[in-house]
Amino acid sequence: MSIANRQDQNGLTPAHDRSGRRLQVLFATGSDGQASAGEDDHRRFARLVLPHLNDAYSLARWITANRADAEDVVQDASLRAFRAIANVADGNSRAWVLTIVRNTAYTWLRKNRPSALVVVDDLEAVESAQGVTADLDHETPETALIAKADAASLEAAIAELPPAYRETLILRDVQGLGYREISQVTGVPIGTVMSRLARGRAQVMKTIGRKSS
Amino acid sequence: MMRAATYEDATLRVHAYVDGELDPANALGVEASMASDPALAAERERIEAFRRLVCERLPRKASPFGLRARVEAAIGMRRPRTQPSWRALAASIAVTAILASGATSMLVAPLEVNAVREGIVDAHIRSLMARQPIDVASSDRHTVKPWFNGRIPRAPRVVDLNKEDFPLVGGRIDVIGASPVPTLVYGHGKHLISLTAVPAAGSADSAPASSETGGYNILRWIEDGIAYWAISDASATELDKFADLFRTTPPDQ
Repeated sequence: MSIANRQDQNGLTPAHDRSGRRLQVLFATGSDGQASAGEDDHRRFARLVLPHLNDAYSLARWITANRADAEDVVQDASLRAFRAIANVADGNSRAWVLTIVRNTAYTWLRKNRPSALVVVDDLEAVESAQGVTADLDHETPETALIAKADAASLEAAIAELPPAYRETLILRDVQGLGYREISQVTGVPIGTVMSRLARGRAQVMKTIGRKSS
Repeated sequence: MMRAATYEDATLRVHAYVDGELDPANALGVEASMASDPALAAERERIEAFRRLVCERLPRKASPFGLRARVEAAIGMRRPRTQPSWRALAASIAVTAILASGATSMLVAPLEVNAVREGIVDAHIRSLMARQPIDVASSDRHTVKPWFNGRIPRAPRVVDLNKEDFPLVGGRIDVIGASPVPTLVYGHGKHLISLTAVPAAGSADSAPASSETGGYNILRWIEDGIAYWAISDASATELDKFADLFRTTPPDQ
């Protein structure tokens, strides 16, 4: 069974697959965005997308864990954003840009480094089987130990998280998105955002607490 | 089993509380449960310590120099040669400055004053272009301050200047250099004033100094290790008055 098939049934987020496919259709129309785009599209892009380039790169870097890959993903995502720019409402452009970056990054990983995504497969089963309390019950570190952690072990602990926990934690604690925006970007209900965030935080705290004790 | 589910729910609520996601009624409920359950109170402390840690220590992934140019080239975007819109120009200069400084300095390195100034102007312009110049809309400082509490290590000083005709409009998080900083937005007539608090530990207090960039008046002063930047298209006199009021009004409880 291929990983792609398994993800369709049991993947991280159905919404990601759906919009990923939708974007690929946009891609496949072959319309030459560069030639036909009026000045307005460029100005729109400058206003809606360019201000979020740093956030876009940061998210891509966390998902791909690689600098060059992250740059490729941002470029690819920018192209997709540009092709859709005429049809997008002004609203929350940051969440929109991050959604595209996230989907592009996972598409990229599935194509180039499927091993990075295998762990995702059983995540939902794990999520329903075990409550947050299971993560919290043992080894909850003292606050003082958390405060002592250094940058390198913090970064490593976040990088170790399952992708779904990691992206939720990054979007909230690093990029400062609200729960509703995270739900929009990752395509899962707010309740799932909340439990992933709590578990991701608990796991990182546990890891850094163990290291600095 | 039932108890575990309830406890899990209570834990998630503590996270939501720290994140500033709860409405006042639910926030009060969580405060009550933390007061009666030491485990929940400890969880709150851990989450807050963790968030401070992430804000202060986690290296920011500043985007590499040249990425913006690469993206612009990819979509066939030309820089305007004739009659550039000054806004786009100012924004692009400021963004470039931020990208450039981000490439050489990490989170803790203090930014040069000019780089901060450009960041402040950029953030203000961007906020005026957005549909909402703020992330949290409230005239009540008791709403705005807790909103910051969940998002950055230290919430800014928030004072009520409504009676003095500078009503609080809300707040937002700006990114200056590579650090998230709190910005309060006050109104005055038809003008908006962005007041950004940038950590400046170790700097001596200084009185407001004014400057002007791209048609905006800017005031900067330092108090208790924080550099305050006020920017607005309101007149210099009105901005002076605002700074005076902000500095002398106590943030009463």
